[in-house]
Amino acid sequence: MNIIETKNIIYQYPDGTEALKNVNFSATKGKIVMLMGPNGAGKSTLFLHFNGILRPTSGSLKIDGAPVSYQRQDLMKLRQKVGIVFQNPDDQLFAPTVAEDVAFGPLNIDLPEEEVKSRVKEALKRVDMEGFEERPPHYLSGGQKKRVAIAGILAMRPEIMVLDEPTSGLDPKGAFQIMRLLCKLNREGITIIIATHDVDIVPIYAHEVYVISEGEILKKGTPQEVFEDKELIRKANLRLPHITHEEDQISFGKSYPLTVSEAKKRIVEMTRDYKKFN
Amino acid sequence: MFSNTLDNYAHNNNLNGMNTYFKVLFGIVTMLVSLISTSPVVPLIIALFMSILIVFIAKVSWKFYLKFFLFPFSFGLITFIFMAIFFGVGAHILELGIFNLAVTADGFNLGLLVFARMMGGFTCLAFLALTTPMTELFSVLRLIKIPQIVLEIAMLMYRYIFVFLDEAINMYHTQETRLGYSSLKKSFKSMGMLGSNLFIRTWMKGEQAFIAMESRCYDGSIKTMKKQGSIKTMGTRNLVLLVLFEVVLIMGVYFTGSFRIF
Repeated sequence: MNIIETKNIIYQYPDGTEALKNVNFSATKGKIVMLMGPNGAGKSTLFLHFNGILRPTSGSLKIDGAPVSYQRQDLMKLRQKVGIVFQNPDDQLFAPTVAEDVAFGPLNIDLPEEEVKSRVKEALKRVDMEGFEERPPHYLSGGQKKRVAIAGILAMRPEIMVLDEPTSGLDPKGAFQIMRLLCKLNREGITIIIATHDVDIVPIYAHEVYVISEGEILKKGTPQEVFEDKELIRKANLRLPHITHEEDQISFGKSYPLTVSEAKKRIVEMTRDYKKFN
Repeated sequence: MFSNTLDNYAHNNNLNGMNTYFKVLFGIVTMLVSLISTSPVVPLIIALFMSILIVFIAKVSWKFYLKFFLFPFSFGLITFIFMAIFFGVGAHILELGIFNLAVTADGFNLGLLVFARMMGGFTCLAFLALTTPMTELFSVLRLIKIPQIVLEIAMLMYRYIFVFLDEAINMYHTQETRLGYSSLKKSFKSMGMLGSNLFIRTWMKGEQAFIAMESRCYDGSIKTMKKQGSIKTMGTRNLVLLVLFEVVLIMGVYFTGSFRIF
């Protein structure tokens, strides 16, 4: 079932330039969907449509099968259902302490005090940031800030979590922790939509992949299907995953591996076959 | 980052665990005593006492404290000198020999009193600023019913000071890398560019923050959790100590009230 579905969305800036051109995007419930595209492709603009911050100039948007209503009350419900984690955590964390920031969302949907407290505690526990409640955000590292930003969204119990470049600007360990956290949340039932241009993480985590460039969706499919089309990937100013470039030297046969672990498996298989024949 | 800032000391000092209400009450009442004193003796004792508290008990680096102290001190000293020369009438105690200027006993005493009160008041505030994190002060401010809108603005300001400080430092470094501060004239120019750029950044950041807040159902007012805790959490022992200390100070004010150097 498609939890998000856009139909021919066009978005024009007030000056008339088209940021999105006929975008048809859909996300299956319970999956990790990645939107892959270069800088300025319109990823963030598309995301701001998902929770009603931006209204499409034309086209329609359905969340959970129902068309989005832009009434105030409905927007509040929508924003609770679809949580957006922004690229720069400093834009998102505004409160003087971590706990107050995480409590911001739940307090806005008028939950009772006790409920808010337990949600803050739970959200911080889920992102592994217990014990930082009273810290001001400016003493946290980049990865920690990102996790607090995610906790702020989790505390609203969203069904869909939209993340704009969740690993950008993080060190390898921080990036890995974030991705592991997102996988965990996905297993717990949250649909995750990620915008990224880090092509190496796409085949590892994504169930569905979209390629977007200059406001247009160029291709949709599984990682295998998308990376098959080398021409398209290059046209979109992206590249193939590092391991896939190896293909130039080693022939893997028909399809090439996209992740290191897959390549390893294939090499082991190949050597086994080779031994069998000799 | 931010290791040598007031905020960092406020978060990491030996008096951090102490009850916030106690610290606030202690700081403010002592400051009031310093202000009502009619002789410079008690305020100067308060200044000394507070400085000792800050440096030896709270263990704030004395180098930082000295730097922090220097600004109001020099300001106070200038006030003292000017008041001694230009205020007051009566017998001259010191002739300066130019323009017929002279220090009068009256002016000297008044200047010294103002100087002492300034130092007393400042050290009390410094004690508060250096031992109590802003984040905890907000809950005290909420308790004494400061209007919500003022608090909201203060909270946002507090958070964004550090965001922009970070940006400003980065920009400064990039300018310095390209020799933007190699001469006085260039420094002025670079500083101006930094300032105007920062101003534009605040605009953009503000917009971003608003979108991010809207995404979390922001409806125009920042709601906050009520922290339980009241003045009562201070404890009887602390309260008795506080009252005793202030009574001693007020007695000091009473007995030294007519003390004059000249």
